Amino acid sequence: MTPTLDELNQAFLRLLTPAPALGTACEMHDATSCEGKGVSPNPAPTPPPTSAPVPPCRIVEGKTKGYHFDADLAPDQIVPAGRLLDERGFAIDAVTGVDWLAAGQMEIVYDFYHPVSVLHVVLRCRVPREGAEVPTLSEVFPGANWHERETHDFFGIRFTGHPDLSPFLLPEDADYHPLRKDFTGAA
Amino acid sequence: METPDQPSPQVNSAPNPTPTGPVGDGEPAPDCSSIVRFAKLDELLALGRANSLWPLTFGLACCAIEMMAAGASRFDISRFGAEVFRPSPRQADVMIVAGTINRKMALAVKTLYDQMPEPKWVIALGNCAISGGPFVFPGQYAVVEGVDKLFPVDVYVPGCPPRPEALIEGILALEEKITGKRRWPRVPPQ
Amino acid sequence: MLLEKLQSAVGAGVILPDGHETFVLNLGPQHPATHGVLRVKLTMDGEYILRAEPVPGYIHRMQEKMGENRSWSKYLPNTSRIDYLSAMTYTHAYVLVVERAAGIEVPPRAEYLRVITSELNRISSHLVWFGAFLLDLGGFTPLLYAFDDREKILDLLESVTGSRLTYCYYRFGGLCNDVDAEFLTGAREFVAYMRPRLAMYRQLVTDNIILRKRLEGIGRIDAELCRKYGATGPVIRGAGVANDVRRVEPYSVYPLLDFKIPVYSECDCMARYLVRMDEMEQSLRIVEQAIAQLPEGPVMGKVPRVVKVPAGDYYHAVEAARGRFAIRIVSDGKEIPYRIKLRTPSFSNLSLFEEASRGMMLPDALALMGSLDLVIPDIDR
Repeated sequence: MTPTLDELNQAFLRLLTPAPALGTACEMHDATSCEGKGVSPNPAPTPPPTSAPVPPCRIVEGKTKGYHFDADLAPDQIVPAGRLLDERGFAIDAVTGVDWLAAGQMEIVYDFYHPVSVLHVVLRCRVPREGAEVPTLSEVFPGANWHERETHDFFGIRFTGHPDLSPFLLPEDADYHPLRKDFTGAA
Repeated sequence: METPDQPSPQVNSAPNPTPTGPVGDGEPAPDCSSIVRFAKLDELLALGRANSLWPLTFGLACCAIEMMAAGASRFDISRFGAEVFRPSPRQADVMIVAGTINRKMALAVKTLYDQMPEPKWVIALGNCAISGGPFVFPGQYAVVEGVDKLFPVDVYVPGCPPRPEALIEGILALEEKITGKRRWPRVPPQ
Repeated sequence: MLLEKLQSAVGAGVILPDGHETFVLNLGPQHPATHGVLRVKLTMDGEYILRAEPVPGYIHRMQEKMGENRSWSKYLPNTSRIDYLSAMTYTHAYVLVVERAAGIEVPPRAEYLRVITSELNRISSHLVWFGAFLLDLGGFTPLLYAFDDREKILDLLESVTGSRLTYCYYRFGGLCNDVDAEFLTGAREFVAYMRPRLAMYRQLVTDNIILRKRLEGIGRIDAELCRKYGATGPVIRGAGVANDVRRVEPYSVYPLLDFKIPVYSECDCMARYLVRMDEMEQSLRIVEQAIAQLPEGPVMGKVPRVVKVPAGDYYHAVEAARGRFAIRIVSDGKEIPYRIKLRTPSFSNLSLFEEASRGMMLPDALALMGSLDLVIPDIDR
């Protein structure tokens, strides 16, 4: 029941390759993420953006990075990708954000591990920094509920469909998001 | 009793906030210390209180583990009469603030202090309770920088975390503050 | 109308189909059974829990934010104050991820000493859990035994690290100082001393009928629940899954050492209890072997004066005493981290509490909470 890296790659390629109907939306997302990577410090050692499309998912050298598979997703692909990993027996590790202030983007990073095999999968999604919003994964993995609430606390990223986004680690009346790079201190 | 690498506990020399005599309606409290019998009873009460301090079971963070260690087999705080940890503030008379207080917790800590009956004392155990400790930096958004921002503190025990010996020394310092006498010989640092 | 709305929002005063009325019980943030400042909002039907909603955050200490305003090496002391009971393993994860990112080599002697100190730390952590868990269940004496044994470990670790609890012993590329012969003799003696003690614990506590009645069949957490919530460590190993980062994603010199991963498939509190008790024995085995294999040599590799991490993101997980602890670092190539994400085991282990405790009796739920072995600053960070 342990999945192999190649099989996973194939499954993700099928999921992420733009279908004819969704073509424009996905291309638009690719364009924005490439533009963002050109300005911001690169999160992964990808070649500089050229006209050739960056593959949306790739197998990574686990020894140097600590994870084995990396995929860039559009917001509407997060839940299908989560289901795909759920079917293959992955467990949720963490959900977090990274604030790319210079690029004007928020990156949401999902980590998944496999309970019995050495496979670590990272999903990323970049959205515009202001009004950042992605769908919740808590219906696929109930454990994502707390991680997403914490990410909302720290970065102000909204998770649509999340059951409860009230402050979690911060005080009940907190209206600040301390891990945003432009945060200067709470009143 | 003390270790050379850690400074000894600092006793707050400010007058004890607990009232020492009966207070009438509107009129100033009479000075009872001149009445010989009453002063003796006072001393007797102080002696009793100092020798059976009941701390509140109240662990916040790392320092609480050292507080547990002070209560457990090797250090055995019951040698000093302070082993009766009470989970309810109504039954406790010394609050050992062991750990970091953040803004979400501050109100609860204040409530616990208010719920303790008089006379009551506070030991700030560890750097976090004294000043916020290592968690203070410009623009910090969560930590209360010292428990004395919330209520008066009697003894400060520094360390990150302080050793159990330091907590015992802090309790001895508190006893000295209550009775005016130190009942245990002071061990000079080597 | 308004009252009814308010009641259903709070969860109190709701009339159930069987005519019972619910009430809300607030457990914490100051409660001896939560081992710190965890708060749980319980909606109760008499003695039975309808819903238990943990409210963390009462000891949030900005650990992730602090990573963004100090250099890579100045963050080292922070890592020992997240889960202060297994500080060594947490520091280990941090040095491993930075070494992985910056390509720093570690001499073998340092790797062995890291394993020895980490495993001693794991035993001391489990001893605190053992004492505190049995205290929750109403037995005071085991705590006194456990802390007595723990002090022996602390003496050993203090002699090399200088601190009793919040060790900052590992450095990028090695250790801050070598151990002496006295430490190694002491560790060997401790292993010899601890084995009969563990046998005594088995006789004194594990076989106790009252303990078994309190733990067997209580607090079911199965493998699927663990997977959906990301619960790891003794929780998943008590659910029949041999998930241990030391074995699944081996790091340091663990692949060179012979040890078993204790697994119990009963999924109850007793299974989690037995996993931890067996783990202490396995840790003793690891310490014994690592001391026997300990090579001579330096304890510090070649490290640049100012550590810089190449741009990119890196990840490393270790097996801490409470489960999988992982650090994800994001660097923009500067001397200061861009982002440090701490994935802590207590956070994920507690997140399943709401689902696992539904319908339980309150005293059983506290046994369940104790069997998760929570450290609250590890949840709140």
